[in-house]
Amino acid sequence: MRVAVIGVGWYGFKPSVPELSFREMMFEAAVRAYSDANIDPRRDVDAFISCQEDFWEGVAISDEFAPEPIGGVLRPTMTITGDGLQCIGQAYAMIKTGAFETIVVEAHAKPSDILSIQEIYELALDPQLRVLNFGNPLFQAGLDAVAYMRRSGARREHLALVAYKNKNRGLLNPRASHAAPVRLEDIMESGTVIYPMSRYEIAEFTDVAINIVLASESKAKGYTDKPAWIDGVGWATELGSGAIEWHSWGRMPSMKLAAQMAYKQAGIESPLKQVDFAEVEDRFSYMELLTLEELGLGGLEGVPRLLESGYYDVKGGLPVNPSSGSLSLGASLEATGLSRLLEAILQLRGEAGGVQLSDARKAIVASWRGPPTYTSAVVIVSSS
Amino acid sequence: MSLWKKGRIVDIRHVEGKMEVEEYIYTPGIAGLELAKALIEGKILGVKCDGKVYIPAKTFCPDFTRGELVEVEGSWTIETYTIIYEDMYGRKLEKPQIIALLKLENVEGGLIHYVNVDPKTIRVGLKVKPVFKPREERKGLLTDIIYFTVEH
Repeated sequence: MRVAVIGVGWYGFKPSVPELSFREMMFEAAVRAYSDANIDPRRDVDAFISCQEDFWEGVAISDEFAPEPIGGVLRPTMTITGDGLQCIGQAYAMIKTGAFETIVVEAHAKPSDILSIQEIYELALDPQLRVLNFGNPLFQAGLDAVAYMRRSGARREHLALVAYKNKNRGLLNPRASHAAPVRLEDIMESGTVIYPMSRYEIAEFTDVAINIVLASESKAKGYTDKPAWIDGVGWATELGSGAIEWHSWGRMPSMKLAAQMAYKQAGIESPLKQVDFAEVEDRFSYMELLTLEELGLGGLEGVPRLLESGYYDVKGGLPVNPSSGSLSLGASLEATGLSRLLEAILQLRGEAGGVQLSDARKAIVASWRGPPTYTSAVVIVSSS
Repeated sequence: MSLWKKGRIVDIRHVEGKMEVEEYIYTPGIAGLELAKALIEGKILGVKCDGKVYIPAKTFCPDFTRGELVEVEGSWTIETYTIIYEDMYGRKLEKPQIIALLKLENVEGGLIHYVNVDPKTIRVGLKVKPVFKPREERKGLLTDIIYFTVEH
């Protein structure tokens, strides 16, 4: 029995959404998704899952606030403190049991409301480590970038090239609020923020609410004639999640494990040959390259070379981040993974507008929960 | 869905809020307390798990066994590093902050700490050593180590 995406809805994709509260944004995205799926959430949905985290909401025990804006009152509703793709994994597994037929997954982010976002990132570090003053709590990305470059042979130019590709690509995507027409030299000559990365290579934040409706194969056919299919989902948290010093620097074992799990379900043995495009983690420039390697989409030393050759461009062998990625769309806290899944689904449906690919039938979507976590999730989606 | 949303910026209102989480005490626990005592003595502890030693020390091991706390010593090198120039709000730091993962030979994990070295000369593999505060100023925190410095 397969699992389909039968509806999607979103609201925002702006650096700030001042007109609505985050709960109103959830409501807006939900109404749009249910309209897209032709469902009544009060009648047709068996469970609701929201990916969220108290500190991003600014309220304690925020799961109590989850049901109402998405139509889940007095219905099974649960929250997961994790990236939106982890909620997709949960919904997929629940539908596979046969006990649930239609499940709503939602995630949202309103980073523009969070005046002390840097302090919240600091609070996510081990209290024993937090006595040090790092200057920027995203320092881990710098440690991983340097270790990745040393191990893979990727140079500063390769990281800049990722930002060049994604920042310019975003000019074609109306959701990409952080797109910019930049030259490679602009990036190379720009000052360093977290060595070895410039400001262009660190994703800015974006406010968004995203709602995705999943259904079993038999249900899906009754609601839509344009389902996207979820062929596999994997997720993992690696060693080093509680003591970051134990992390494998310059690697992302959680991404590799998540991919292996998703590939197995989807029957993927050689991903480079079997998928048409990939929407992968790029909230830091080096992460696009490292993720591609861990997903088996280039191999060690292969990824920087393939990037140089244009293989990951929209007209190359494997378009990577045809949506323009998080470097242009922005990072949206726990909604980041869903924003990339949304872009992949629009591609599969032929509704991606200015960023539409000519051949988009099967895709890999890969997301990291972001620093300081070492949790990743991978989803395989296809149009038939 | 709301049909009529306010767009004129002066019509938009904010409610100020504060999350009451700034005051907290953290129980250091068994390993944390031993680690603190060791730092005051100018020592660094690791945890021995199934033949491997990990730093920083925890009570529990990656394989879910209970570890044995042991003092670690030896030669430190920079495994990876970064240099922070700006914070998340785009404010330039007064002085670039060098952060590194310091690795001890034959030990898993490592310590994340400052390195006192010219940014131009920092590199992976550089041999370094910890510099502790004078004993009377130590508090059992990671800041009892001022920084790591290049070994001469």
